[in-house]
Amino acid sequence: MKRFGAILLSLVRSGFRGLQSSPVTSAVAVLTISVALVLGGGFALLVSNMGGVLERFGEELQVVAYLEDGLEPDEARALADSVRTVEGVAAVALVTKDEALRRFRETTGGGALLEGLDQNPLPASVEVRLIEARRTPEGLAVVVSALSGLPGVSELAHGQEWVEGYARFVALVRTTAVGLGIVLGIAALMIVANTIRLAVYAREDEIEIMALVGASRSFVRIPFLIEGTVQGAVGGGLALLLLYTGYLLALPQLEYGLELVLGNVTPHFFGASGALTVVAAGSGLGLLGSATALVGARSGS
Amino acid sequence: MSGWERHASSGAFGDGAVRTYHVSKSYIAGTFALHDLTLEVKKGEFVFLTGSSGAGKTTLLKLLFAAERPSEGQILVLGRNIARLRESAIPALRRRIGVVFQDFKLLNRLTIEDNVAVSLEVVGTPRREARARAFRLLKQVGLQHRRYHHPLSLSGGEQQRVAIARALVNEPEILLADEPTGNLDPELTIEIMDLISSASTRGTTVIVATHDHNVLERYGKRTIHLEGGRLAEDTPATGAEP
Repeated sequence: MKRFGAILLSLVRSGFRGLQSSPVTSAVAVLTISVALVLGGGFALLVSNMGGVLERFGEELQVVAYLEDGLEPDEARALADSVRTVEGVAAVALVTKDEALRRFRETTGGGALLEGLDQNPLPASVEVRLIEARRTPEGLAVVVSALSGLPGVSELAHGQEWVEGYARFVALVRTTAVGLGIVLGIAALMIVANTIRLAVYAREDEIEIMALVGASRSFVRIPFLIEGTVQGAVGGGLALLLLYTGYLLALPQLEYGLELVLGNVTPHFFGASGALTVVAAGSGLGLLGSATALVGARSGS
Repeated sequence: MSGWERHASSGAFGDGAVRTYHVSKSYIAGTFALHDLTLEVKKGEFVFLTGSSGAGKTTLLKLLFAAERPSEGQILVLGRNIARLRESAIPALRRRIGVVFQDFKLLNRLTIEDNVAVSLEVVGTPRREARARAFRLLKQVGLQHRRYHHPLSLSGGEQQRVAIARALVNEPEILLADEPTGNLDPELTIEIMDLISSASTRGTTVIVATHDHNVLERYGKRTIHLEGGRLAEDTPATGAEP
């Protein structure tokens, strides 16, 4: 155990010594990883915020079934009861013609528009809220199709098309983010691999000497993997810092824009697990990059 | 295990540290750096390897610490057959062999103490212990006052002494030295050779490649002379001591 600890310490020391000995190439690797992660992380942040908006839409999603004129109050109540039995419906509220008029007056500040009319033109309606599992474009479609066949319902109003469009947009951004992430990840991987390969070439003599004094292949290689992982973690940390700075700078504009378009929506940054994921992604990139560099490199015997 | 290996390990060759049996090494087809070399070096023996440039001295040393594999024949070093040694078994063998190179092969970004300690650290010796042992060796070669210096700030003779300290720090069973005094003036040559010779008196098998006749005469040890990759002459020790 003592021997293993001594070897481990020696490997870590050797890895950090490698970083110190080539600060410029290390800085290039760190910057490359952070640029890739800023772009990938920026998209992830965007997707996460858009997903949040979609979730909010879902919470407020409801279907309004306008009833045919001339429907008796009893018939309207019976219709509301039958709507309650439709699968996916969480709550049903009957809005009578009078209630509709009252709401109209409230929202328009007196309802002066309707003053010349001798009868209430607003229809009675049934407001349907959905269970959580149905608060998706697909779930909504199922409920809408069940309601549309009910006798006494003249028209259905719902934001299905809008929600579907938005969900498609979120999916597109998500796919772009994943695609971009893969491309940037591969590019960063190649650059890190080449940077580490340069370090391997620059220290070929050292590697040879280590092998000559009896260092095993892994003893020679592991410091390079440590080097790559540390570069990646630092790159991830830097990316996080840049993203947060960008987020703080953009937040006032972002908040105003979102409020204007979507109402009371608060943008959010990565939580602790998201931030850790960015740093871990950086470490992973660095580790993979150095492992790629060592494939075929002369490191030992 | 081949019949030859069984024969060798049964002790039929005596207590040999190194045994070569019809060893040839060819880098280019048809030409041999070593050709049909059979010899034995006993444990604790001090042997000089001589011959002009290209005679095969360095090739033989490289074969002994498994930097190269023989094209033909068998080599037993400390009971391990180099021809059939797995790649993963090479480090363990090298930890039992100290090597001193003509060009020193020191790590320039480490202090000389760390250069010596590295031989111990690769086998998991705790750093403090490794540095303490490295310091003892540096003291033996008279460089304790320069322990924190880097190799490039040392003279050639001092660098060679560091290389010898590194080769000896883990108390190897075999010490190989390839022209260890090739770049040194006569005074330093004697100093370095005395250091190497002292390892032999402690039971280490020593093989030194050199073409310095003054050294050969001064130490009077067994001398294996190579010519064109072949064993030309094997002269026993004269018993003369410096």
